[in-house]
Amino acid sequence: MVEITGFGGIAVNVWLVWILPFIGAAIIAAVARAGIKIRDYTAVGFALASAVSATTLIPLAFSGNEVHSQVNWIAVLHLKAGVLGDPLSVIMANLVAWISFLIFVYSTGYMHGERDLTRYWFFMLFFIGSMQLVVLSDNLLMLFFGWEGVGLASYALVGFWYTDRKKDFVGTEGHRAGGIAMWASPSHAGAKAFLMTKAGDTMMLAGMFLIFAYSGTFGFKELLQNQGWAVQMAHQNLLVPAAILLFGGAIGKSAQFPLNEWLLEAMTGPASVSALIHAATMVKAGVFLVARIAPLFFALAAFGMTQFFEVVAWVGAFTAFLLASQAIANPEIKKVLAYSTGSQIGYMMMAIGIAGLSTNFVDGYTAGFFQLISHAMFKAALFMGAGALLHVVGSRFMSDMGGMRKYMRKTYIFMFLAAMSLAAAPLITLGFWSKDAIFAAVLGSGYVHSLPLFIMAFVVAIMTAFYTFRMIGMSFFGKKSQHLEELEKAGHHPHEVRPVVWVPFAILAVATIAIGVVGFAFGAQLQHIFSGYLANYFGITQQKQLQLLQNPATTTQLVKPLTETKLFLGLNPYAAAASFGAFAIGGFLGYMFYIARKIDPQIISKNFVTRGIWQFLYNRWYLNSALYWGAVIGPVAIYRIIWRYFELTVMEGISHAFEFSMASFSRVVKAGQTGITQTYLFVFGVGIMIIIMLLLL
Amino acid sequence: MVDFLSTPLLVTVVLGSVGLGIPVIDALKKERGSNNKLYSAIAFGALIIAIGIVIIRVLSGAVMPAAAFGPGVLSDDLFGSFFAVALLIVSIMVTASSWNYMKGKANPAAYYSLILLSSIGMVLIGYSTDLVMLFVAWELMSLPTYALAAFSKRDPISNEAAIKYFMFGALSSAILVFAIGLVYGITGTTNIGGAIQGLAHLQKDLIPVGLLAIALFIAGFGFKIGLVPFHMWLPDAYEGAPTTIGALLAAGTKKAGFAAALRVIVLGMFVLHPDWTFTLAVIAIFTMTLGNFAALVQKSVPRILAYSSIAQAGYILIGFALAPYSNQALTGSLFYIINHAVMKSAGFIAAAAVATALAGYSLEKYRGLGHRMPITAIALSISLLSLAGVPPLVGFWSKLVVFGAAINSGSIVAWAPYLAIAGLLNSALSLGYYAWIIKKMYMEQGPDMTKVKEPRAIAAVLIFAIIFMVGFGIWYAPVLEFASKAVPHFGNIASVVSNGSSSSSHGVKSASVASSNSSAAGLRSIAVVVRSHT
Repeated sequence: MVEITGFGGIAVNVWLVWILPFIGAAIIAAVARAGIKIRDYTAVGFALASAVSATTLIPLAFSGNEVHSQVNWIAVLHLKAGVLGDPLSVIMANLVAWISFLIFVYSTGYMHGERDLTRYWFFMLFFIGSMQLVVLSDNLLMLFFGWEGVGLASYALVGFWYTDRKKDFVGTEGHRAGGIAMWASPSHAGAKAFLMTKAGDTMMLAGMFLIFAYSGTFGFKELLQNQGWAVQMAHQNLLVPAAILLFGGAIGKSAQFPLNEWLLEAMTGPASVSALIHAATMVKAGVFLVARIAPLFFALAAFGMTQFFEVVAWVGAFTAFLLASQAIANPEIKKVLAYSTGSQIGYMMMAIGIAGLSTNFVDGYTAGFFQLISHAMFKAALFMGAGALLHVVGSRFMSDMGGMRKYMRKTYIFMFLAAMSLAAAPLITLGFWSKDAIFAAVLGSGYVHSLPLFIMAFVVAIMTAFYTFRMIGMSFFGKKSQHLEELEKAGHHPHEVRPVVWVPFAILAVATIAIGVVGFAFGAQLQHIFSGYLANYFGITQQKQLQLLQNPATTTQLVKPLTETKLFLGLNPYAAAASFGAFAIGGFLGYMFYIARKIDPQIISKNFVTRGIWQFLYNRWYLNSALYWGAVIGPVAIYRIIWRYFELTVMEGISHAFEFSMASFSRVVKAGQTGITQTYLFVFGVGIMIIIMLLLL
Repeated sequence: MVDFLSTPLLVTVVLGSVGLGIPVIDALKKERGSNNKLYSAIAFGALIIAIGIVIIRVLSGAVMPAAAFGPGVLSDDLFGSFFAVALLIVSIMVTASSWNYMKGKANPAAYYSLILLSSIGMVLIGYSTDLVMLFVAWELMSLPTYALAAFSKRDPISNEAAIKYFMFGALSSAILVFAIGLVYGITGTTNIGGAIQGLAHLQKDLIPVGLLAIALFIAGFGFKIGLVPFHMWLPDAYEGAPTTIGALLAAGTKKAGFAAALRVIVLGMFVLHPDWTFTLAVIAIFTMTLGNFAALVQKSVPRILAYSSIAQAGYILIGFALAPYSNQALTGSLFYIINHAVMKSAGFIAAAAVATALAGYSLEKYRGLGHRMPITAIALSISLLSLAGVPPLVGFWSKLVVFGAAINSGSIVAWAPYLAIAGLLNSALSLGYYAWIIKKMYMEQGPDMTKVKEPRAIAAVLIFAIIFMVGFGIWYAPVLEFASKAVPHFGNIASVVSNGSSSSSHGVKSASVASSNSSAAGLRSIAVVVRSHT
């Protein structure tokens, strides 16, 4: 348990990981003057430098050490700025750094020839710098700064094509649901992403300051060391609300229900941005926050934190179900992937939530983080691949593709590999092992409602396999679409993309399989690291948990786990069977409909019930419509009334009166400044008199 | 004894030799053309060396901690070094921006020479521990600025400004001499440490004389600081003087005035009368309110900045007024002083850039500036926002520390929180004219919207100022730490005063307080006389 404090030694590297991208962002505009190539290479270079400094921290994570370096910051409030490099943050930082680096390399090819790329690089660097700040910060306040930086960068990048050309929109033009337009322009989408995540951020801010009000610190280590604040808050029934408010931030950032709607419109950004948002940065910030605070709150389990973990688990499970069901019915390739992201993140939330409800915290915690790692890798690959497809086909609709595997062999192979991970093809993909770990964690927990959770997770897994096969089938298999034939007539033949574009996602796709082959050992190693981490820093061990559970103060309702952990080859047999089953059912259906094309998908429109379900899913459960009516149109109507009868009359009157009185007084003062030296001397003399009198008073 | 390796002497030697050397070089030169760039570079180099000396001596621990009083006339302490750094930054910014501003104007040699000589005076004020030395440094600082204010000799406004400035300067010098004479008369010494001790043991019937001396000190220094009611000359002078000199006056000499006031008024008054703080508080409130109100309807940017600097002096004075009650107060003032030095120089220098490029000071010239001169406009905006106290710029933290001290002192003196309230209301009011300028620059279109070439050197200075204001805004801990180390130690004295006022005993109470600075030559203790008025 060596703690290194101060700037010495390796601590500098921890700082550099997040400062380097910011430095890059600061100088990129100046570098751009030297030439376009140099600018692009500089941006990639800074991403690489950040990744390399993150890599130097890996030995630390494996040896179970941590680096904690602090400097004075806001002295008035005794706040310190600091970085914390513990196993959790080091693994996350490496994941972020290397995936971002690959995305940067991809961008040099993918964004080639676009206008305003200096702005693009500035915000990309700003983005990863902010994300690394979230990951490495040792306190909630700095984390929040990074958090907002991520939000700002995502706003700017989602709306990167701010001129709102028709081809950059998302959604089918003319499609309305509940009176609300379901297609959006980039600038609209950027604003929507920003505002919706702000709703979460506001909650998070409230939670942060609530905790600060009682503890006087934002530091994770300090919060853990002295738990008096938790006693006080629990006494006033504020601890769980504060924790749930913090989770509200994660809900917004990670696009969980009910703040999930922004994620789909966020597809208006370039594919590289989508990859960054969905794989490594933005949405993962929410999961990371939960992973950061969950052990802390679990260590406070004596204060009855069960409700908090229940909220996390159920929000996650419901989001997973909600978005997976919508993904089935969507015609746009990037939006299918976006729904899938929200759904997969729901899995992670569910796993971390279930961790706090189970007898073995580390199982669920590891499963959630394992899912985060595998999802980051395959989703980045899928988005980059989808970007390549869009680029070549010139359309975001899968119905405009079809048969693409003949033209884009490499893209097809590597997207297929990554997609298998998403669908959780058994035994050789990373996605399989992480999903299996989640199933096992749910089954092995003693949580009273774990059966419904498990059933939801199982159904989601079936849907996931189905929509993955659908996506691959619709874009790469079958006949050429009409759109492609028109393209060919016009003389544009679809062709493979350049190596600088396909190599980055090829690396990730191959990595998902390479790690997937030894996925079991990988998971075990992760489990080993986290059990050491949780035991050493939070005192969470199985014995301790049992003690806590015997403590009558805890409200955890314990029942027998659904499965005893009798392991078969180290696998929970029920979980493994469920994983196999889900892939088999979903995969088979997807194969029949979209790859083998034995059944025509049109049959659903023939039946009244299935068509209704399809409409419901395609219209996003009408949640988007409800959001606009309830949160935009309604409040604006109310505000109009206030504006008409209060602002225009009362407030304007006060404002003008105030302005007039200030200006009049100012003219009086100005009149005193005559410009005549005699007056000045007179005032000077009188001044001395007054001061003497004041002193003698 | 004078140590020849002490910081003030080294700085004096460097700046003095270069300052006197520049006119000699000019006289030796054959051709009589303007050698503005050469002299600017020389002066700039000398100032960089000087600030380098100060910083190296501070970092190597060669200077005494906090404010030390010794038997000598100068003391090489951290307090002086703090002001030396702040003031030399201002001189450097002024000199560098004069590279553009003085282009093609007459007598550059004299101009830079005068700036250097004035800088010596400013630096020495911070280090002075003797009233006579202080007065000499004061005059060394002031006399060159009279000439500098009148530097555009064909410009009647500049001449009028200089005459007013000189008349008031002469008056205040006379007042200072009178005050020093009174102190010498009743204590028999001109050494500040000795005088403080003497005032502490003053016979009761001499106390009014001591108070008179203090009042005269306030008037004398208050003239330079621009306290109401000694401020009348200030807007005229700052506006009429060349704009770069406006920066030197507003950010430089004004801060030197604060240094002198700290050394003399705060320390000296303290031993006489506990309620002097109330007097300063009243002056502070009048100063900030009047400055802000007068600025609201002005039309010329340097004039707005001049009134703004009056208002800012009011905020800084809050810290002085609360010195005995809170450790944070004087730290806050020093912190505010160094930040204000940079903010205000940036403001004036941006105005100088506009004057150079567009030949005008009027607010109308600033319309559309955000498009025409982007660097100047952004620097001016940041400096104005910082002056208004918008987070996370340095001005915000300065106000936070000072106002925080005022609120914390509420438990000792009931009126202290009102200072914070007055400060907050004034800050809100001040946005009225700061934001007005920003609006003109970014939201309005001028008759001429062509891009203008921004003067290079001024742009560089402004970029430095932006980095300072934003960078130290995000991470202000180092500056605040420097300020808190440079502050004279009032901690112990503060507790004595609070005890004294709560025990409400009548008559004279004397307490001996160990000063926590441990310099060998330093004053070992300060005797405090507290007369309670209940």
